Amino acid sequence: MSHDRILTFAFMEPPFESERTITFFRLLDAALDRDVGVRVFAYEGAVALAFAHQQPHGNAVHGRDSGEEAHPLTKDWIQALQEKAQARRIGFEWINCGLCVDERGVNDVIDGCGRGGPPDLWRYASEARNTLTIGTR
Amino acid sequence: MSKYLFIQSQDPFTEQRTRHQFELIGQLHDAGHDVSVLLVQNGVTPARRGALGEGLDRLLDGGVPVYADAFSLAQRELEEDDLKDRVGLSDLHIIIDAMLARGKVIWH
Repeated sequence: MSHDRILTFAFMEPPFESERTITFFRLLDAALDRDVGVRVFAYEGAVALAFAHQQPHGNAVHGRDSGEEAHPLTKDWIQALQEKAQARRIGFEWINCGLCVDERGVNDVIDGCGRGGPPDLWRYASEARNTLTIGTR
Repeated sequence: MSKYLFIQSQDPFTEQRTRHQFELIGQLHDAGHDVSVLLVQNGVTPARRGALGEGLDRLLDGGVPVYADAFSLAQRELEEDDLKDRVGLSDLHIIIDAMLARGKVIWH
């Protein structure tokens, strides 16, 4: 794939905390709609987005079991984006900052998500058409 | 001249820093750069007709193109008719297009 069709995103928001996470995933989806390859460098709390042991839960207050609650999990959204990219034959790469992973103990991630460090962000940004950094503020 | 797209996620009613963010956008526009704004999340709230949002109003009066994310509006039960004049509707693809055009895309 030409590097002219690759975009890099740096993201630091943890799962289940902020509307930014929703917007971020919508943005990745929009990139795939344009047949653009996506590279994500996740750091700080965002390394938990791909954590394999996320579990859906029910809502006892509202009397709903896990299936009825349909609690969204970010690891499933990542997988859905991976599958969309694969169906469109475009790249979708995801690297978690290793130090941030170790701090949080979220080493076990879903397939297709790797471990790296700031040099990977540098490489991603250097090779991409453009890079967007989404801070927590 | 540079091309800028600001993604404005913060609103002036809960975030003091938006005043400086809107000032920066206006200054870049006044300096002759090609500047546009996409309002997302709570950033869409000052675009409501009648909302007191001096910073955004100044950008609109100055001719800065401003768009509101349709998804963020729908989440807040806002429709196009609820928006101030000159605020357009958009989705997030505008961000991807700006990035592909090598614009400076900045998250606020």
